[in-house]
Amino acid sequence: MRKKIDIIKFSVYLLTFLIIASWLYIFVVDEADLFKLFSAKNATYTKKFLSGLLGIGEEVPGFIDRDLWKNAIEMSFETFIMSIIAIGIASIGMLLTVIFASKNIANGELTLQKKWYNYPLYYVSQGLYIFSRSVPELLWAMIIVFILKPGILPGALALGIHNFGILGKLCSEVIEDMRYDSIMNLSSCGASKTQLFLYGVIPTVMKRFLTYILYRWEVIIRTSIVVGFVGAGGLGQDFRLAMSFFKYSEITLYLICYMLLVYLTDIISNFSRKFIE
Amino acid sequence: MKINKYLELHKRGILSLLLLGAFLLSLTYIPWSSDLIHAGGRSTINEVIRSFFNPDLSPHLLRIGFIASWQTLAYAVASIALALIIAIFLGVLSSGVLFESVFIKTFCRGLLGFMRAIHELIWAWLFVAAIGLSPLAAMFALAIPYGGILGRIFSDLMQDVETPQILALKTSGASPMQQLFYGYFPASFANMLSYTMYRLECAVRSSSILSFVGLGGLGFQIQISLSDLKYNEVWTFLFFLVILVVLIDIWSNLLRRRLSQ
Repeated sequence: MRKKIDIIKFSVYLLTFLIIASWLYIFVVDEADLFKLFSAKNATYTKKFLSGLLGIGEEVPGFIDRDLWKNAIEMSFETFIMSIIAIGIASIGMLLTVIFASKNIANGELTLQKKWYNYPLYYVSQGLYIFSRSVPELLWAMIIVFILKPGILPGALALGIHNFGILGKLCSEVIEDMRYDSIMNLSSCGASKTQLFLYGVIPTVMKRFLTYILYRWEVIIRTSIVVGFVGAGGLGQDFRLAMSFFKYSEITLYLICYMLLVYLTDIISNFSRKFIE
Repeated sequence: MKINKYLELHKRGILSLLLLGAFLLSLTYIPWSSDLIHAGGRSTINEVIRSFFNPDLSPHLLRIGFIASWQTLAYAVASIALALIIAIFLGVLSSGVLFESVFIKTFCRGLLGFMRAIHELIWAWLFVAAIGLSPLAAMFALAIPYGGILGRIFSDLMQDVETPQILALKTSGASPMQQLFYGYFPASFANMLSYTMYRLECAVRSSSILSFVGLGGLGFQIQISLSDLKYNEVWTFLFFLVILVVLIDIWSNLLRRRLSQ
């Protein structure tokens, strides 16, 4: 009980200290100026930008231009495809490694077998997870576009690598927390290791795995526009181009498409989640 | 009838197959050929992998790394502080603890949903277009979606509080404000803290991304090193980022373990 209070108190103090230190740093060392933000010059920029978004003063604003809509829908479709490839890469990578990355398999508790290579494999796969999820998808994309030509593949790869780490962490925790009842029953009936895995582990964890995969897919759709900023395809690329050419009414169009895409994914994934309930 | 039963039994298998099918179908969309790789792509891969094993660890670069890590952390923490203010304010309003009004509740819920539907980098771009490059703008851009997520979670947590304490407070005639401060906040505080810690980890990653809109820190250094094609420096900074995230991860894990006891 004593320790429970301690760590919470410690966290609160440390967090408060960090918050104060960071604000001090930003205002004193980095000399950020809050009042500069609200200067008259900025006000005119903001006004220009907002009226640009609404398409004021343009003959044909981007968001009612037929050709641009066609292009934007095509790009949305491309983004959608990219997100599916990304979650596919992440899920397959996770499924291939998650068996080694769970502690109860590494120490032989679950499979009732201990092999010398279990622990090294455990550390290697956990290390992979930590590394790939600590680096944000945009940084992965920046590195990958040095190797692959712009298109949806580099974006999908970058999103896939990052989410591989997150899915791996979530799913290895599912295996670690699973109940052993069915495994015990199977093993007392004399099931082999493969049978244990096929009939014991997979049915128990499958629902949680699918839920996590769907959840990450929603997140991927949200971030897919971002990897386009560095030239990795999809809506983001057009968004950035429109931004650099100051075509603000096109920005509105892309934002509409982006929101629609996010809502569409939410609907599909909610539907799928209810389906497997 | 038989088909229904079959469906019922194999729902998860069917969904997995559907997802796999969608994945394979999507793969055909990519024009597979050697055209996908840059002309010098192969040697770049070699170089990137080789420099992974000997990152630049000169004292000069390590010093830059430490400063950049602190910058990234500082901006993340400051943004989280802003997000907390937004989240507590809107979270309380949308949980319906203070006001019973359905209008306020749905309005705040919708606002929170809108805030988190748009990614922080897009907020940042919009801010850049509206008020120019500025670290403060980047912080606001980070605080808006994070405020949206935290606010949603906070309001859910407060709605889940249905302990005898609240009833006791209600029956003894506490005002909604008193209920909030003596009932709802203390009861959900631990969970709020734990979730904030988790979000802090994400904020560190996001603040390294926001170097695209003029925020200093690790992301900025990585961008510079990448444009100089110094991959060994890139890996050094990436290691710094990984260590920073892992440290916060360990901290929040410790906290969560204590809370679940």
